[in-house]
Amino acid sequence: MSTSALAFSLLPSDIAQFSPRLGSLSLRRRDSSTSSVIEIKTPNFTTSTSRGVIPHLSRDHVRSIKSIRWTGVPFESFLDRVPPVPVLQTGSAPLHTFLGYDRGQHILAMSVRDPFDGRDMPANGKDHISALCIRGVRKVTPSSWKSYFYSCKPDVVVALSDVPYTQAPQSQKRLQKSIERSTVWLTHLLSKSDAPAAASSPEAPSGRPNVLVNLVGGTDERARAAFSENLVEILQGKEQEQISPLRTLDEGVTGYQFELLPLRATLRAEYGQVSQEQDSTSEAGQLSALMRASLHSLPSNKLRITYGSQTPHEILRFIRDVGVDLFDIDWAQRAASIGVTLDFRFPVPKTSVQYSVCVQPKTRGVGKADIGHNLFNFDYAHDHSRLASTFLDGEAFLATQNQNSDKLPCCHCGACTPQPFASTLLHDQVTEVREHPTSPIPPYTRSYVHHLLHTHEMSSHTLLVMHNIAVMDAFFSGIREVLQKSHSEPDLFATEVDRFLSTYAEPETLFAEAEKDWAKVESERGKGRLAREKQNQGGGEVEEG
Amino acid sequence: MQFEIVAKCHTTRARVSRMKLAHGVTMLPTFMPVATQAAIKGLTAQQVEALGINLILNNTYHLNLRPGMNILKEIGGAHRFQNWRHNLLTDSGGFQLVSLSKFTKITEEGALFSSPFDGEPTMLTPEESMSIQHTIGADIIMQLDDVVSSLTVGPRVEEAMWRTIRWLDRCIETHDKSGKKDVQNLFAIVQGGLDPELRDKCLDEMIARRDRVAGYAIGGLSGGEEKDVFWRIIKQCAAKLPEDRPRYSMGIGFAEDLLVCVALGVDMADCVFPTRTARFGVALTFQGPMNLRLGKHAADFRPIDESCPCPTCTDKMSRAILHHTITLETAAAHAITQHNLVFQARLMGGARDAIVNGTFPDYLKTFFKNYFGEAGYPEWCVNALKSVGVDLLEGNPGARVQAGAGAKWERVE
Ligand SMILES: [Zn+2]
Ligand SMILES: [Zn+2]
Repeated sequence: MSTSALAFSLLPSDIAQFSPRLGSLSLRRRDSSTSSVIEIKTPNFTTSTSRGVIPHLSRDHVRSIKSIRWTGVPFESFLDRVPPVPVLQTGSAPLHTFLGYDRGQHILAMSVRDPFDGRDMPANGKDHISALCIRGVRKVTPSSWKSYFYSCKPDVVVALSDVPYTQAPQSQKRLQKSIERSTVWLTHLLSKSDAPAAASSPEAPSGRPNVLVNLVGGTDERARAAFSENLVEILQGKEQEQISPLRTLDEGVTGYQFELLPLRATLRAEYGQVSQEQDSTSEAGQLSALMRASLHSLPSNKLRITYGSQTPHEILRFIRDVGVDLFDIDWAQRAASIGVTLDFRFPVPKTSVQYSVCVQPKTRGVGKADIGHNLFNFDYAHDHSRLASTFLDGEAFLATQNQNSDKLPCCHCGACTPQPFASTLLHDQVTEVREHPTSPIPPYTRSYVHHLLHTHEMSSHTLLVMHNIAVMDAFFSGIREVLQKSHSEPDLFATEVDRFLSTYAEPETLFAEAEKDWAKVESERGKGRLAREKQNQGGGEVEEG
Repeated sequence: MQFEIVAKCHTTRARVSRMKLAHGVTMLPTFMPVATQAAIKGLTAQQVEALGINLILNNTYHLNLRPGMNILKEIGGAHRFQNWRHNLLTDSGGFQLVSLSKFTKITEEGALFSSPFDGEPTMLTPEESMSIQHTIGADIIMQLDDVVSSLTVGPRVEEAMWRTIRWLDRCIETHDKSGKKDVQNLFAIVQGGLDPELRDKCLDEMIARRDRVAGYAIGGLSGGEEKDVFWRIIKQCAAKLPEDRPRYSMGIGFAEDLLVCVALGVDMADCVFPTRTARFGVALTFQGPMNLRLGKHAADFRPIDESCPCPTCTDKMSRAILHHTITLETAAAHAITQHNLVFQARLMGGARDAIVNGTFPDYLKTFFKNYFGEAGYPEWCVNALKSVGVDLLEGNPGARVQAGAGAKWERVE
């Protein structure tokens, strides 16, 4: 029998309801072959997947990036087949096996829907939610969801919840329905009904799976509070029997999560489109208030996750104002898809630090710096420096080894510090095994990535994803360091957040520019390809392009 | 370049040789993956290196457009640009000029074309091609040749052949004066279309210049010609070319083509095929190409090939997850690209071992039996190999032979 118990603990000093907090998440595996612990210090990040894979990364890259640990797997893309294919995978950890994640490195959290897909969907029903796969909309019932979970054995399951992805705003009645359904569906997940015999279940030693629940209630603070109260209410009679020995639903819940995308959509429908920095501050403020409304009556020592923060600025605010522990970095992963290399740090580096022949991000009109570079921009065609000015590459880092003055940290990503793989394949008995050169491999340059972007080469995104994940990893470890120091310097974190917010511009403009350039290259390529295909008709030469 | 023959097949004309270039040793025969734009589709140079590949190709035409020579000069060449620490070959740019640009006009001076950027008339001369390739800095560079389609007939073929020889002389002159001769090696390209007499004349002329070139390519066979003609030209050229120079057959990448060429005495080949076909979901195996887009793979949890040492197969990445992600996630293309490049490398590595061990004829028989056993052996392969002493059908009287050219391609319904 395999067990994986997810535990979350906070520093004793950090249990105030709504303040930044340092925590530790650990997943202990005990099964016939291994006994391992995956530990994640919080605040930290999760990686998001598309069709089960982290976009642009091959499995050898995923393994080599040690900061990839908690990985979210939306299940809906598998609904195009009945039964969904991962359900048929055999073994003790079918979802890990099917998707190629390492049980010693990766915690998989399975949800029905992709939390970053905000498209309008047909309404959910009393006994199902609507999910989207490549062949269209599929209904997922609480029983089928439970069976998928027990078959796939992810480490963590997100309970089915009724989040309306229909035109905002929602009526009072709709919110009430959402709360009721989500409560019933969570009860079903925690109950013994439709659960297989214990021997084959991926349960925790306590006998229960690791369950996350979406805190629902839309943009209505009272509705949000009402749902949370349902969770902590001590159940009686038949209701209690269902979930026995649990007394409340909350006892069966490992952590809480917030899906911000539908909330934003509703807020924007209610208050009009926001685009200015000032407004997004207030949107972050509104979202924080909604999260606090949900958390108010819940135990403060449980894991809190948000999906759909859009900037490092928001992440800092949600840590400061709510005490969120885990964040997706989908926006940073997507930035890699549109040609943006991230270039920022928390805490903001001291101005005395030398940037050594590396152009810093553009400063915008308001006097704030971008958090990265749009490498589509022709300014980078001749820029042969490393990807980020705020980090050294491995080669430069080594070269300045003996320098103890203020030195930039090193970005250890596969683009800034390329490492040869541990082994090289040999395909015959006559090739001499070559020793790897001992000198470090220089970094991939902005000019190279610029070139790859304009020639539509996929390697550009691979390099940028690796780098952006590393920058986010450093961002979160910076946050944890400052929080650590805050214990002796109480205002430090708030001060550093303010410094960050006044140093770096929100990336809206940067991302918009990159997206525009990306779309232009896409469409030019489309045209070029058509022209080529026309020319090639009649079985002409095949040309790589 | 140091070039040394290590072993010869006792039956066919295949040989194993050791080619030492500025960025290391490459054992021949070998297949060279194509990094058109200075990247192998979706992979990093470190990943390519880990696959056991140590010679790749960049396209001069493309790199001259982007990033352009100024940028490559600034950064110090294409090796540094793409972070590739092993051997590199560039073509001359002429082939793409003719195949990608509608308005290319060949004059004695060079190839006149309109710039894809501003439409301005631009001339690619042999001297210019050399200069561009010197900037790129590849270990092996190719002469500019006057390329005509293999389907062209008439005096244009002979004209192109003679011009290619004159352009070779201009390339040699430029290269000799460049000061790059010790690190970059110039290859001549044998032309002459599908006409054995023209090929023979061209071979004579080019062999006469053997002391000034490091190796030879067999050009002008672009896939449109009859396979039966193709192998005869390859055989004729390989047989006549000097033994102490590497022989490179341009644009060859199908497994059966590669092995036939090796048996006829070819040492190097390149093709976009294994990386291109990967992006469309086709994985290469010793049982024939496997189209992972087909529904039959959707719930198949086996890897592409249990015995394959590539990262994809050793990770046991299933056909099912590849089916789920191919054409929708770039990571699926990366995975199949890694596999396909390893397939090509295993095919050639296996050939090298077999030649060294004196078992190359058996290697050919086994390969063709597994790859084509059911669909039938391509007749041209049977004929080509018979001409160098290997009878694929020997001891296999029930074997089927197919007149057509290709492998058994699985089509998407
Ligand atoms: Zn980096
Ligand atoms: Zn493989």
